[in-house]
Amino acid sequence: MTPLANLSLIEAADAVAQRRTTSLDLLEACWANLDATNPQINAVIWEEREQAAAAARAADEQVASGAPLGVLHGVPMAHKDMYYQAGRLSTCGSALRADYRPTITATVIERLAKAGAYVFAGLNMAEFAQNPTGHNKTYGDCHNPWNLPYITGGSSSGSGASVAARFNYMALGSDTGGSIRLPASACGVTGLKPTQTRVSRYGVMPLSFSHDNVGPLARTARDCARVLSVIAGHDKFDPTSSREPVPNYEGFMDGDLRGTRIGVPTNVFLDDADDPVVQAMEAALLVLEARGAVITHLELPLMDAISAYGGIVSRAEAAPIHAEWMRKDPQAYGKHISGRMYPGYAIPAAYYIESLSRRGPILKEFARQVFSQVDVLITPTIKTCLPTLEETDIDHGPPGTETKFMAVSANTRPFNYLGLPAISIPCGFDPNGCPIGLQIAGRPFAEGRVLKVAGAYQSDTRYHWERPALLDNMGASP
Amino acid sequence: MAAFENDIESTISRWHSITTPNDPAKRLAAELAQTIEAFEKLRGTLVFEDEPAGFETALQATKEQT
Repeated sequence: MTPLANLSLIEAADAVAQRRTTSLDLLEACWANLDATNPQINAVIWEEREQAAAAARAADEQVASGAPLGVLHGVPMAHKDMYYQAGRLSTCGSALRADYRPTITATVIERLAKAGAYVFAGLNMAEFAQNPTGHNKTYGDCHNPWNLPYITGGSSSGSGASVAARFNYMALGSDTGGSIRLPASACGVTGLKPTQTRVSRYGVMPLSFSHDNVGPLARTARDCARVLSVIAGHDKFDPTSSREPVPNYEGFMDGDLRGTRIGVPTNVFLDDADDPVVQAMEAALLVLEARGAVITHLELPLMDAISAYGGIVSRAEAAPIHAEWMRKDPQAYGKHISGRMYPGYAIPAAYYIESLSRRGPILKEFARQVFSQVDVLITPTIKTCLPTLEETDIDHGPPGTETKFMAVSANTRPFNYLGLPAISIPCGFDPNGCPIGLQIAGRPFAEGRVLKVAGAYQSDTRYHWERPALLDNMGASP
Repeated sequence: MAAFENDIESTISRWHSITTPNDPAKRLAAELAQTIEAFEKLRGTLVFEDEPAGFETALQATKEQT
């Protein structure tokens, strides 16, 4: 049998259900790799060993009893530390919430628990989910398991790093401008941002309520499909959540791409891209073409408007959430966040309303022009080779660092304004040994098609199974 | 540019009682000039018959038909 720490989420759940392993063994495999790697990568903010062990034993007793099991039964999980669990710590990556213990539990946590999963730790993240790199002034920067001086991507830094370091089968991240897809890309794992409104945000720390999304980071697209089937759907506690029916997303993943129309943008997404990244994307397109996909190159419309309006919405919505702390204790924030949040207070309401009111018409026009030609779009998730933590450190770097910092999320932000589903899957490595991610985006609620393309690619490649050398060097379990 | 930065800082201070927290904040506030330029470039270039329209309606209108 595959060593426990290397299993995908689905393999782990199936192994428990079929009594080939126990939940306690899975948990111990997670602890072994966490203990071996976390001192280097700093992906964890808090852990609860006794409570998790009790949950594992209860899960194993349920298996022994022959009771019906959920599709994630007995799988230990750790999430970005911004998913509220009543009575449990939820730091949101900030000193300002170092002792915060909410009284409510996020709907997505409830749904995962109902499917049989349990939580064993809270993961590092960008402070209040507000940077694309993984820097954190309070809890320490998260380091890339593939090459420690390099960024993990953010803001779900610990989510990406923990899955890559093989001590977590699946982590929830949040995505307001790329915060699921960027760490998935940088850490060599698979991360899915669903359609806006697809997943409830109740009990999840808000950043920009028009752009915030909840989604999984895991080893494979099939893992993400299973998680999405569990967490998607209307929630009475989140009136913005969609009533669109939730399909069995794994059912879409038949590997058949014959006739699937794939669009590759000729503008914006490859501007100033690094050669290794472009080459990895082109190699991935050949894999998909061999499966029967038809590749089309096209210029995407409205990109200037999407960029301008999207930036306004995110900044204007984040600013008021933090206004009281920015008045009373601005130095409690890292410069990363207070520096970037500050201009949001000067954005005129008319700009914000224009940006928001045009979102629907722009989506309609974008979809009319683009999705009449192609079924999905493919781009690099991050268009450059990964920068180091030092190169993107606004707190300690020279003037201009903030510009390099923002380039990391240039390819992910447009899909937040458009509200489209998008996934990042591993497709190669840059010259520094850091992973390269491929972004696949589709129409609203076309997660099934996006997952189908991603799953087909993963059927023919092994990048998603590659392990960081750190695991072997640190004596982690195989 | 200094006048623009000062305007931004005084606006934020007056409307929100928030002072400039650090140098990156000053530099990023100065970049609002680029935000204004981006909006100026868009003026008159976009006309939508159904404007304003709800985003949720647009999500439904543009979803994949199965």
